[in-house]
Amino acid sequence: MAFVEKSSDLSFVCVVVCVLLQTVVPLNTWVLISNFKLAYNLLRRPDGTFNRHLAEFLDRKVPANANPVNGVFSFDVIMDRQTNLLSRVYRPAFAGDPPSFTDLQKPVDGEVVPVIVFFHGGSFVHSSANSAIYDTLCRRLVGLCGSVVVSVNYRRAPENRYPCAYDDGWTALNWVNSRPWLQSRKDSKVHIFLAGDSSGGNIAHNVAVRAVESGIGVLGNILLNPMFGGTERTESETRLDGKYFVTVRDRDWYWRAFLPEGEDREHPACSPFGPKSKSLEGLSFPKSLVVVAGLDLIQDWQLKYAEGLKRAGQEVKLLYLDQATIGFYLLPNNNHFHTVMEEIAAFVNAECQ
Amino acid sequence: MDELLEVLGYKVRSSEMAEVAQKLEQLEMVLSNDDVGSTVLNDTVHYNPSDLSNWVETMLSELNNPESSDLDPTRICEDRSAFPKAEEGADEEASSKRIRLESVGSWGELTRPLVVVDSQETGVRLVHALVACAEAIQQQDLNLADALVKSVGTLAASQAGAMGKVATYFAQGLARRIYAADLSGGSSVGSSFEEALQMHFYESCPYLKFAHFTANQAILEAVTTARRVHVIDLGLNQGMQWPALMQALAVRPGGPPSFRLTGVGPPQTESSDSLQQLGWKLAQFAQAIGVEFEFKGLAAESLSDLEPEMFETRPESETLVVNSVFELHRLLNRSGSVEKLLTTVKTVKPRIVTTVEQEANHNGVVFLDRFNEALHYYSSLFDSLEDSYTLPSQDRVMSEVYLGRQIVNVVAAEGTDRVERHETLAQWKVRMGSVGFDPVPLGSSAFKQASMLLSVFAGGDGYRVEENDGCLMLGWQTRPLIATSAWKLAGA
Repeated sequence: MAFVEKSSDLSFVCVVVCVLLQTVVPLNTWVLISNFKLAYNLLRRPDGTFNRHLAEFLDRKVPANANPVNGVFSFDVIMDRQTNLLSRVYRPAFAGDPPSFTDLQKPVDGEVVPVIVFFHGGSFVHSSANSAIYDTLCRRLVGLCGSVVVSVNYRRAPENRYPCAYDDGWTALNWVNSRPWLQSRKDSKVHIFLAGDSSGGNIAHNVAVRAVESGIGVLGNILLNPMFGGTERTESETRLDGKYFVTVRDRDWYWRAFLPEGEDREHPACSPFGPKSKSLEGLSFPKSLVVVAGLDLIQDWQLKYAEGLKRAGQEVKLLYLDQATIGFYLLPNNNHFHTVMEEIAAFVNAECQ
Repeated sequence: MDELLEVLGYKVRSSEMAEVAQKLEQLEMVLSNDDVGSTVLNDTVHYNPSDLSNWVETMLSELNNPESSDLDPTRICEDRSAFPKAEEGADEEASSKRIRLESVGSWGELTRPLVVVDSQETGVRLVHALVACAEAIQQQDLNLADALVKSVGTLAASQAGAMGKVATYFAQGLARRIYAADLSGGSSVGSSFEEALQMHFYESCPYLKFAHFTANQAILEAVTTARRVHVIDLGLNQGMQWPALMQALAVRPGGPPSFRLTGVGPPQTESSDSLQQLGWKLAQFAQAIGVEFEFKGLAAESLSDLEPEMFETRPESETLVVNSVFELHRLLNRSGSVEKLLTTVKTVKPRIVTTVEQEANHNGVVFLDRFNEALHYYSSLFDSLEDSYTLPSQDRVMSEVYLGRQIVNVVAAEGTDRVERHETLAQWKVRMGSVGFDPVPLGSSAFKQASMLLSVFAGGDGYRVEENDGCLMLGWQTRPLIATSAWKLAGA
C-alpha cells in the first residue's frame, strides 16, 4: 500500500490511501449492498411516496441485549414521550455479572469516557437504530474507543421532513448532555462526539451547529460518507452515476423526500456551504473527521464540505479512500474498514487524555 | 452460512454466494428495463427476507424471467463496475483481522432486551426494591423478603403511571409467595370471569386483535382453494376471532366456502352452556353474511384430554385448520401434556396450525430469573396500556386486572397451579419442530395489514410489528411481546 501525504497546513491534512487490490469489493459485500439497492429501488415510488410497510418488513432488526456480547451490552431508552423518540445505548460490559436493570445507568467508570451520539444512515428514509447493520456498527464503536454509544432513532422522511431529524438529534444531544451517569470523573462533564454515516453524517453536522449556537460542548464530529448535495451536477456525480450502487436519480428522490416541499437543493440542509447557509466563521465548531469513499458519486459535495469547513477556519481531517464504495464500513472484510476504524479511534482518543 | 452476513440478519451459504450475486444481477437487469416489474414486485407478497437466495429467486419467477441462466454478455449492467472479479476478494490482512462475532441478533435465551421507560429516580428505586425482594426469596430469607415487600408497597403507592401498577401486582405476587398463601395464584375464580377480563383486554389494546388478525391471515392463505373449511379453536373464549375470518371468507371471489367451527372451552356448568350460546350467535352472524355454518362446542378440563375422534373431522371433504391463541403454554405445567396435545393435532392432519404466544421466557427453572423476565415484560405491556391522552376506562382497568392475574400466577404459583408458563418463539420452534411440524412463513401483506391495524390505536406510534424468520411479532417500542407463527405437517 502506498501512502501519499499532502500536508499544506496543520488544520487540513489529506491522506490518500491507494489500494492495489484488483477487486473492488468482496463478494459478500457486493451481495449485501446490492440487496439493499434492490429493495430500496422497490420501495421508492416515482410520485415521491414510500412503501414504508414493505420497508419495515424487509429491514432486518435486532433486539437490544443487556447480556454482554463481545464485551458490549445495550438497552433502549425513550428520550421523549411526545415524539416517541427512542435511542439505543451501548456500553462496555462491567466486570463480573451481566448488568441488572438498575445497573444499566450506573455511572461511567473513567477519568474521561467519550460518549458518541450516533445517527444511522439511510438517506433520511431507510433504516432504524435497531437495524442489524447499525447495531453491529455501533457495537464496534464501543470497543474501539472505550466509549458509550447512543444511537438515535430519529424520525424519517418522507413522513417526517426537515427539520424533524435535526430536532430529534437535538433532543438526543440534550438528553445525553444532562445524564449524570454519563459524566466523566475528571470534570463531571459529558464528553460528547457526534457521528453518523450518510444522512446521519448530515444530521451530525446540523446538530453540531445548533450545539455551538447554544453553548453545548461537542468534542468532535465523525462523518462517514456524509450526505450532502446541491442543484449543480458535479463531475463525480456525472462520472459515477449508476456505477457503484447509487444513482443521481435516487439521490434527487431522497432530497425531495427530506427537504421542505417546494425547496430545492440549495437549501442549507442539503448544501451547508451553499449560498443560503450561515457562515461558521468565528464559531468554535468541533473538529471534524470526514471520510470520503472514492467511488461514492456524491464525493464532490463531501469534498466541498471539508473545504468549506477549512475555509471557515475549522479543524478538519479528510480521509479519502480511493477505491471504497458506499457501505464499506458495514463489513469488516476490507482494508478501508480497518483504516477507518483506526482513524476514528485515534480521533476520539486524542480528546481523552 | 456466511458469518458476516448472518450477523446482519441474512442467511446465505458461502457456497451459494456467487449464485445469489448472479440472481441479484439478473433481477437488476430485468427491473431496469421497465417500470412494470417494480410495480409487480411492490404488490407481490414477500416472505422471509432473511433467506436472500429464496427471496431473490421468488422475485425472479414473479417477473416470469425469460432470461436463460447464461447471461447475455452484450447486455452489461452498468453496475458491474463494482462486481468482484473471479477470485474471492478478501485479502489476507483483512481476513486475519476478521472479528469473530457471537450471534448477537438472534432471539435465543441469551438475549435480554430491555427498554427503559421510566428513568425517574423513584421508578428505579421501585425496581430495585422489587428485585431485592425477589432475591431474598431466592435465598429463602423470608424475613428480609417480608420487610422488602412492605417497602415496595409504600414506594409503589407513590409511583404514578404504569410502573406503580406493575409494581403493585408484582408485590402481590411476592407477598403470596412469602406467606405461602393461596399458591393457586387466584386461578380458582370462574372461567366466565376470566373470559370477561379477556374481553376488556381485547377492547383496550391491540394485542389480541393482532393475534386474531395475523392468525386469520395465515388461515386465509392456507384455505384459498378449499370449498369446506373446518377450524378447531383450542380456546374459543368469546369467539372474537371468527366473525372477521367469516367476513373475509364471505367476500372471497367465487363465493365463500362452508365454515365449520369446533370451539374448545372449559367444562360447562349445568345452568349455562356458554359454548352453545356462542355457537348460536356465530350461526346468526354467518346467516347474515351468507356463509354456510356449522358449530360444535367441546368442553375439556385440559387440552391434553382431547382425543382426535372428538373433533369428528371429515378429511375427505374438509380442509382442517387448528388455531391456538395463548393456550399452548398452559400445558407446560404437566410433563408430557403439550406433546400429547400436539400429537393429537398432528393426528387429525391439519392443513395449517396457527399459534400465538407471549414472547417471553417465564418458564425458567430459577425463580429470580423468571421474576426479572416477567418484571420487564409486564412493565412494557403496562406501559403500552398507559395512555396519557385519554382517561382510564373500565376496559383499561380490567385489562390491568387481567394482566395482574397473570403476574401473580408467574410469581406466586408453582407446580400444576402455575399455568402462565410463557416461552419464547425460539423455544416453541424447537418444540414444534421436534413434534413434526414445519414453519409456514407469514408474509408482507399480513405484516402490512397488521401495521395498518395498529395505526388506528391511540399511542399507536409505540406499537411495532416485526418480521422474524417467517413469524410476525407485535411489540411495544423495541420489545416484542407476542408472536404469531404458522405450521404445517413436516413434509406436507
